Order: sequence, then C-alpha cells, then structure tokens
Amino acid sequence: MSKKHPIEIFMPPNILKAKVGGTVAGIDVAALRRAEAAVETLKSDFQNWIGDDVEKLAAARDAFAKDHSELSRESLFRCSHDLKGQGQTFGFPFVARVAASLCRLLEGVQVQNIPVSLLDAHVDAIRVCMRDQIKGDSDQVATMLAKELDARVTELLSPAAAAR
Amino acid sequence: MSGYRFDRLRLLVVDDNVHMRKLVVTILQAFGAAQIYESADAQNAWAIARETNPDVIFVDWMLEGMNGLELVRLIRTSPVSANPFVPIVMLTGYTQLDHVLQARDAGVNEFLAKPVSVKAIFSRLLSVIEHPRPYVRTTNYFGPCRRRRVREEYTGPERRTNENTTFVDANEQKMSA
Repeated sequence: MSKKHPIEIFMPPNILKAKVGGTVAGIDVAALRRAEAAVETLKSDFQNWIGDDVEKLAAARDAFAKDHSELSRESLFRCSHDLKGQGQTFGFPFVARVAASLCRLLEGVQVQNIPVSLLDAHVDAIRVCMRDQIKGDSDQVATMLAKELDARVTELLSPAAAAR
Repeated sequence: MSGYRFDRLRLLVVDDNVHMRKLVVTILQAFGAAQIYESADAQNAWAIARETNPDVIFVDWMLEGMNGLELVRLIRTSPVSANPFVPIVMLTGYTQLDHVLQARDAGVNEFLAKPVSVKAIFSRLLSVIEHPRPYVRTTNYFGPCRRRRVREEYTGPERRTNENTTFVDANEQKMSA
C-alpha cells in the first residue's frame, strides 16, 4: 500500500467522560426507573396522538390516489414509516407490522404499479386496529389480515410480477 | 446521585416526528439532562449544532429536505462545523444491513433501530462515553473508526500500514476534514 491513500488516525480526548464523571458501576438506577415510568406515561398518551398520525396517513393516501407521483409516494412512505417506528415503540406491534408491509409496497413497487386497492387495505387495517385498540399478536383475525397483506406485497415484489 | 452527571451535557435531538422527539427528550430528561435542544429538520439542527456545539446528537434518518445522513456528513466534514468529532447516534426505523452500513459510512457513531427504549438510549450513551472510537480520515471518509473489533480471522489485504498511516494529536489540530 503506497502513500497514495494516506490514512490519518485521531484519538480525541474523552471530553464526554470528563463531563459526566461517574463509573459504569455507578449507573443511577433511580434515573433509569424514572425514565421507564416517564415512557409508560407517554405510551398511554400515545393512544390519543396516534389518531392524528393515522389521519395524516389517510390524507396522504388520498393525495396519492389522485396523483401517482414520486412526491405523493414519498409523503405516503414517510407517514407509514413513522407509524412503523411509533407502533413498535409505543406498544402497537400490529400497526407497526401493517405499516412495515405498506413501506415495503411503497419502496419496492414502481409508482404507477402500486395498486390503490392494496394500499387501501393497509390503511383500513391500521384504522380498524386503532378503533378496536388491537395492540398485540393475540387477535387472530388481525394476525391473519397482516399475514395476508404481507403475502400480497411479497407477491407484487416477486420477479415475475416485476416483469409483467 | 451516583451515576453520570447528564445535567452537564448539551444534547441535540433531531426528529421530524413530534412524538418520537418527545419520547427521546423525555427519556433524556429522566436521566437528568437539562440542556436539550430540539429540531424538527436538519437545516435548523445544523444551525443549532453550530451555535451550541452539543456534546451528543441524536438524529433520525428520515427527515424532510436534508435527511439525517446528509446532516451527519455535514457535521463531520464542513470546515465550519463546531465539532466534527461530536458523537452522533442515528435513530431509524430501517433495520436492514445496507442501511446500517450507509449510516456507518456517513460517520455515525451508534445506530439505534426503533423501537426506541430507555435501555437502548442508555446503552448508546454508555457506548459513546465509555468506549469512544478513534477517528479516521481517508481520501473519502472522515468519522469514527469503522472497525469495531480486530478480526483475527481476516486474511485480506491490510489497508493501514506504517507507510500510509499517521497518528494525529487531535488536541493540537483544528479539524478541516
């Protein structure tokens, strides 16, 4: 290896450690408990907030149905990606799963080939889940629905479908 | 309080989703952090970072306009960056390996795939505090060393040699990546 590809290595002083002090053994357990309690409170509030985000998703769906553009696809993807992350974080795994499936659809299929019916099926599933407060995997109908939506998206993403 | 003094840190949280931002800020506040700056977009975050020189930055990948990766590259390589060495934790809903590699190659220190939890945030903070990595500048990269560990089984060509590698005292040099 010649000097044509020079590499410089820096070891900056650990200012962060100097500022926070403490040791690993000195982790403040009370602070962690406080954080866990604060998150639990937020989770209960989230049931109210998520309604707004589902409505945003529905509005983005309407915009996309009117105009299959890259811009409207991106907006819809952003909404579903947000719901995926929030569903996982705030205890709505079913919302997260359906939103993840919707993300795959929006990311993997060309804009003009995204079927609005399949898109609607995802948005409606998320809405029903919110209405009925379906949170986990224990609801058999919801689980079957999520599987079916996943399967439809996978089918569309298959090489055979892409070649059509 | 026997643990870390998070109240001594300036932190910046960048996420366009108000709920996720609120969650991260709430967790950091519960840890004791008091100086937390928030931004819903990368442009504003860049201005805040230059003005306040935060100690740690939490940034979401997906932002409207300039995205999180672009912000990381700017912080690492701009000549007017307040601190190109600042530890950056990337939050994201992406979990695939290629996304992790993209974040790594942009100069991210830690990657946090959602769901966000107290433990996940604490472990990333612990990592940047207790196990800081050296920083590396090559012709096309500046950021934390991308080698997490020495792979003894590695038998390929060694790019770092005595001839081409310089160890720089970061105290003495003002970075201009």
